[in-house]
Amino acid sequence: MSTILVIAEHRRNELRPVSLELIAAAYGLKKSVDDKVLVAVIGSQAESFVPALSVAGVDEVIVVQTPIADFDPDIFESAVSALITAKNPAVVLLPHSVDALGYAATLASKAGYGYATDVFIAEYQGDELVATRGGYNQKVNVEVDFPGKSTVVLTLRTSVFKVLEGAANPSVSSFDLPVVQSRSQNKEFIEPGGANDVDITAVDFIVSIGRGIGEETNVEQFRELAETAGATLCCSRPIADAGWLPKSRQVGQSGKVVGSCKLYVALGISGSIQHMAGMKHVPTIIAVNTDPGASIFTIAKYGIVADIFEMEEELKNQLAA
Amino acid sequence: MNVLNMKRGKACRKPFDMGMPAKATDLVRLAIKAGDPYCAAAVHNIATGRDKRRLEALMFDKRRNTLLLARWEHTPASVLEAIANSSAGNGDSGVVIRLDKNPNATAKALSQLYVGQADVRQLNSDFTVLIAQHLHSPVSVLASIVQLSEDEQSLKAVSRNPAASAEVLSVMLERMANSKIIGVLYKNLAENPSTSTELLDFIYAKGDEYVRAAVIGHARCSQAVIDESVSDKDVKIMRKLAVNARVSSETLVNLAASHDVAVRCGVASNVASPEVLVMRLLLDDSCLVRRAIAARLDLTAASINALANDKDSWVRQWLARNPRIPRKVLERLSVDFEVDVRRAVARNTCCPVGLLKALAKDQSAWVRSAVAYQHKSPKVVMEALATDNNIDVLSGVANNPHTPQMILQDLAASPELDIRRGVILNKYATRKTLLPLLEDPYYLHRLMLVGSVRLKGKDKWSLRDDPDFQVRFMVFRWMASRLCESAVR
Repeated sequence: MSTILVIAEHRRNELRPVSLELIAAAYGLKKSVDDKVLVAVIGSQAESFVPALSVAGVDEVIVVQTPIADFDPDIFESAVSALITAKNPAVVLLPHSVDALGYAATLASKAGYGYATDVFIAEYQGDELVATRGGYNQKVNVEVDFPGKSTVVLTLRTSVFKVLEGAANPSVSSFDLPVVQSRSQNKEFIEPGGANDVDITAVDFIVSIGRGIGEETNVEQFRELAETAGATLCCSRPIADAGWLPKSRQVGQSGKVVGSCKLYVALGISGSIQHMAGMKHVPTIIAVNTDPGASIFTIAKYGIVADIFEMEEELKNQLAA
Repeated sequence: MNVLNMKRGKACRKPFDMGMPAKATDLVRLAIKAGDPYCAAAVHNIATGRDKRRLEALMFDKRRNTLLLARWEHTPASVLEAIANSSAGNGDSGVVIRLDKNPNATAKALSQLYVGQADVRQLNSDFTVLIAQHLHSPVSVLASIVQLSEDEQSLKAVSRNPAASAEVLSVMLERMANSKIIGVLYKNLAENPSTSTELLDFIYAKGDEYVRAAVIGHARCSQAVIDESVSDKDVKIMRKLAVNARVSSETLVNLAASHDVAVRCGVASNVASPEVLVMRLLLDDSCLVRRAIAARLDLTAASINALANDKDSWVRQWLARNPRIPRKVLERLSVDFEVDVRRAVARNTCCPVGLLKALAKDQSAWVRSAVAYQHKSPKVVMEALATDNNIDVLSGVANNPHTPQMILQDLAASPELDIRRGVILNKYATRKTLLPLLEDPYYLHRLMLVGSVRLKGKDKWSLRDDPDFQVRFMVFRWMASRLCESAVR
C-alpha cells in the first residue's frame, strides 16, 4: 500500500480549483485499491475547506491549523515536511503555482526527495513513477524518472487534469504544525493586474482579435460580437501593447495560455509563434484572415480567407436574427 | 526587485572579436566568421562574388537550415530567391512547399519555383495552389495557371487572388464557362478587388442572390447594376444596398422601413442617409440601429442629446468615443455608471485635459488605463498615475509621450515585462532610459531595441552575439542596411 499526499491551495479564503485537479491526478496514480489519497489543507481557516475537499477520490482530509491566514513559505515548507515524515507518501502533489514554487524546491532539496516541476503527465510505468514536462520552451516533452527515491515531489500544471465528479465522505484528521520561525511578514495583499477581469485561462469560448482590426475604434464592434455570442474577447500582443484591451486578455508567450478553451475564433491574427504558444492546443480553432498564407491557418481546424469586418457583420446579423 | 539584474543569458557561441564594421564587405566577412546561418541571411543581399557563395554554403549546407530559412517569416527576399535557385529549390519538395507558403517570397522566386517545378506540379497540385493564392505571384504565372491548369483548386485560388489582373480573371471565366465550379468562380470573382466593372455586370446577370449581393458590395460595381438591384427584395441584397453611399435618398427611405434590423443598421450608418431619416431611426426599437447612429460623425445636437440618454450602454459608449461630441455631453458621459462608457470618454481623441484629470482618479483601473494611454494627458496626470499599482495603468504610463524620463527609468526596471515593453515602445524614451533594457531577459524586448532610433549604433552592435538567433539576425540586418545607406551617401 502506498500513499499519495495532495497539498490543497487556497487564497483569500477561497479554495483554488487546481486543488481538485491535484486530487484527480492523485487518484490516477493509485496502483491498487489499498493506496490512499490524503489531502492536506494548511491555513488559519483550514477546517472551512473540508466540505469542498470531500470529493470523489479522497480518502482522508488532514487539517493543519496555522497562526496566520496568508501563505507563508516557511510555514508551508515546515508543515509539508512534517507531514511527509509522518505519512511517508510515495508522491506529494503540489500545484505549479507561485505559492508552491516558494517552498517546493527547498523542501525536496533539503530531504533529497525526487522533484519535477510543471508536470502535465504523471503515471506509473511498471513500478516506476514517470513525470512528463516540457523542455526547450515547450518544444519537446521530457520524461523524468526518479530512481532510488522513496518520495517524489511534483508540481502539476493547472488546467490539465480533469476534475473527478461526485462527492465523498473521507475521514478528517488534524495535524499539529511544528514550531517554525517565519522569516517573512505579510504586509498587504495586492490583487494582480486585471484581477477584476475575467480569467481567460478558465473560459471555454474565445473570440480573439489581432492587428487585422486596424484601429482602436474597431475594437468595440468585436466586443459587441463577443458579448452577443457569449464569448470572451481576447487579443494578440500588439492589441494589448496599444492599450486597446487589458493585458489580462492577451494570449501567447508574453500573455496567457488559454488552458480551458475549447473554441478559439482568431480574427485578423496572422499567427506568430509567440501567439500560437498560448492557444495552439485548443481543439477547435477557427481562423479568419485575408491572407491565405497566414501562419494561423497551419493550426486552424477551419480556415476562412475573408475580411474580418464582413465576417463580423454577417455573424452579428445571424446572431440578431 | 529590479528585473534587469536578471541579465540575458550568455551567448550560445564562442565570442569573437567583432568591432563595428566600416564597410559592407567587413560585415559580410564577420557574418561568415560567426558561422551563423541567421547572420549570413541578414547580410546576403549586400554580399557579392565569392563572399556571397560562402554565405550560401553556410546557410544551405545542412538541409535543416535550408528548411528553416525557407519557412521563416523574416527570411529576406534575396535568400528566398537563392533557395529557389538552389538544388534544394528544384528538387526538395519539403523546401519548395515552405517557400511557396512563405509570405515574403518574391514574384521572382515564385516564378522560378513555378517554372522549375513542372514535374513536381504534375504529381502534387498543392504547389500550384500555393503559388496561385500567393499575393506576390506575378500576373504572368497566374495567367499561365489559368490557361494550362486543369486543377480546380488552383483555379479557385487564382479567382480569389487580388494579384490576378482583370484580364487574367476574364480569361479564366471564359475558359471555365461550362465547368461545374463556375458558381464558386462567380462568387470569388464578385469579391475579388481586381475584377473589372464589365465582368461584374456579367456576373450579376448570371449569379445567384449571394453573388449579386457581393457584386453590389464591390467598389467597381456599376451604377446601372445598383439602380437595377433597388427593386430586388432579397434581404442579402437589401443589406448591401443599405450601406452603399451611391444609393439614392429615396431608396434609403424605403430601406429604412425594412423589417430586417441589419438593413436598418446599414441605413443608420450610411453617410448618404438624409438627416431627417437619421432622426427617425433614432426612435428605432432596436438598440443595434441606435448604436450605428451613435458612431456617425455628422450628428446634430438633437441627436446627440437623445443618444446621451439612451438606456443601452453600447449606444452611450459609441457616442462617448465620437470626436464630434461637445464638451458638456462628454462631461455627462464621464460620470456614467458604466465603466466602458467612462473609458470611451477617456479614449476620445478630443477629450479635454480637465476631464482627463478627473478620469485619472476613476475607481476603475480600466478607465485610468485609458487616461494613461491618452496622448493628450499632461505630465502632471502621468506623474499621478505612475504611483498606480495596476499593470494596465502602468503600461499606459510607460507608453505615454508626456511621461517624465525619471519615471520611465523606474518603469524600465519593473518586474512586469509588459511595463518594460511599454517603455521600449515609447518613442520619447531617451537613450539613457533604454540602455539598461539591452540586458532585458526577454528576447523580444532586445529585438525591439534593435529598431530604436534613440540608441546609438554601438549600443545595438553590442547585441551582435545575443543568445537569441532572431536578435542576432536583426542586428546584422540593421547594420547591413546602415552600411548600404552610408555607401549611397
